[in-house]
Amino acid sequence: MWSYLVKRLIQMPLVLLVVTITIFLIIRFTPGDPVQIMLGMQTSPEAEAALRAEFRLDQPWHMQYLLWVGDLLQGDFGRSIRMNTPVLQLLADRLPISLALALSAMIFAVVVSIPLGLIAALKRNTWIDYLATGYTLFGFAVPNFALAMILIYVFSITLSWFPITGIGSGASTAPGLWGVVQPYVLPAVALGTLQTAIFTRLLRSSMIDVLGQDYMRTANAKGLQPLTILLVHALKNAMIPFVTMLAIQFGYLIGIQVTIEHIFAIPGMGSAILSAVVNRDFPVIQGFVLVIAAFFMLANIIADILYGIIDPRIRY
Amino acid sequence: MAFHDASTPVAVEPNYDSGFRMAMRQLLRNKAAAAGLFCLLLIVFLAVFAPWIIPYDPTQIALSSKLHGPSWEHWLGTDHFGRDVLARMAHGARVSLSVGLSTVAFAAAFGVPIGLLSGYVGGRLDNVLMRLMDAFLTFPPLLLGVAIVGLLGADLTTVTLALGIVQIPVLARVVRSATLVVREETYITATRALGAGSWRLVFQHVLRNILSPLVVQITIVFSAAIVAEASLSFLGLGVQPPTPSWGRDLAEARRFMVDAPWMFLAPTGFIIVSVMAINFMGDSLRDSLDPRSWVRRAVTSRETPRASADR
Repeated sequence: MWSYLVKRLIQMPLVLLVVTITIFLIIRFTPGDPVQIMLGMQTSPEAEAALRAEFRLDQPWHMQYLLWVGDLLQGDFGRSIRMNTPVLQLLADRLPISLALALSAMIFAVVVSIPLGLIAALKRNTWIDYLATGYTLFGFAVPNFALAMILIYVFSITLSWFPITGIGSGASTAPGLWGVVQPYVLPAVALGTLQTAIFTRLLRSSMIDVLGQDYMRTANAKGLQPLTILLVHALKNAMIPFVTMLAIQFGYLIGIQVTIEHIFAIPGMGSAILSAVVNRDFPVIQGFVLVIAAFFMLANIIADILYGIIDPRIRY
Repeated sequence: MAFHDASTPVAVEPNYDSGFRMAMRQLLRNKAAAAGLFCLLLIVFLAVFAPWIIPYDPTQIALSSKLHGPSWEHWLGTDHFGRDVLARMAHGARVSLSVGLSTVAFAAAFGVPIGLLSGYVGGRLDNVLMRLMDAFLTFPPLLLGVAIVGLLGADLTTVTLALGIVQIPVLARVVRSATLVVREETYITATRALGAGSWRLVFQHVLRNILSPLVVQITIVFSAAIVAEASLSFLGLGVQPPTPSWGRDLAEARRFMVDAPWMFLAPTGFIIVSVMAINFMGDSLRDSLDPRSWVRRAVTSRETPRASADR
């Protein structure tokens, strides 16, 4: 297992190298000049040249890339051309919000999918199962931004239970803990519904798998309490694929928030990339994409590790 | 299809239909699949014949009839420019479906050969190709779309490119793992023994036998592309106005949610129904394209464990 892990960890920088070179190529070989966008049309050639030199835009792309990687290895992500703040500072502002949103979506997905998947597996081919299956089909089909609009229409506009915006602004409509949680509810539900569908389906099928195993019959024959059998013998085994999927999806959630951030005016990583793309703010795009890709890869590695820990049969 | 028929014990269920007809029969027997097929055909019909069956131009501004609710004249109401929402949905379907199709074509054009090569040749080539695919999989799909379309400018080509690139590794992986299995089958060895060249072997015999997982994966790519296109349009990065698109109409409807909820309900409904329809098709294609399931169904009870797949 350890040698496998080391291999994966060595692979990670290599994959990130491919990712960064690709994004670098896309950025540098597309039309649009950040300097021109920033300074506008009325500018002196000197000012333009100075700004270009400051952000090394006067050098060939491979030099830019090597210098960027060199800085990166020293912990320097560069500075935003547009806002003139360090990219690291922007990351420190945005990343916690994106993580909090991903986490809240995850909590929602887990809280809904465990009972739903469990009941669907236990009451297979009854109306409850069909209802659960119907829900997963809906979850797979509805895009998060469309669901967000439905939720806003029902819970914000019609019922006024939840605010439409509020994450990261500090302004809260409710006091105490609820004031912190409340603005996250609708975005989390909109973002996490796809994951509830994925998890429910996964748990249902792995639970059905486990229920058919020999050790279930043994547990029954031993005369164990049905609840003990269900929780200790069945659910614990059925959770193995579930937990690894949890890790993978968490990494994924950070990368797909952009539409949700857009609707709920959340200052997260997705909206930062969106505006950086519009303004051709190269250092911000590079840094943010790198961090998101790294998170995604880490999540996958953690999933593999968890797999090995939970299921002693797995050996790498 | 000869291989499939040969492996099917005819005694179980005497059937002299062709493989295609068998598959279609299986498909239609499933009510959900039939409903999905019906909805999909309806949307395709609407998209193809939109200019002839809907008496409104989706870009025609008529301020005198703006924000009208659903009525006999305007089945889905009108938007803030007085444009007919149904007409916009029908024309938007053209964008969604064509982006979906071209994304599938683009991803398959690269993903299928890569997967075949990787799985069939194996060894070092397999390792290099798959690590490269892994690297592409780490791109958050939507953000890569935002970056490519945002930087290159939005039109059908860039949107297709952006959505297709992230699907290449998905298809390549499915094709590769299916190829790994098929490669070891006796009939491949037999064909090789008969003197078939590698090209013929791979593109005729291997490809034909991995069609069913490939087709299923293609339906998943298709529905994912429709959602992704809508997402990009929603962010203002899809096809540009005045071309109607579901995602952009949804974004515009945000400002009129109180006064004209039909404006956001229409594109939402169209997206959900088309994605659901395609997913239903994919789910049942998985069963109906697999000849072994025809036998299994006849032998065992009607109840077969649902194969689970996640996007």
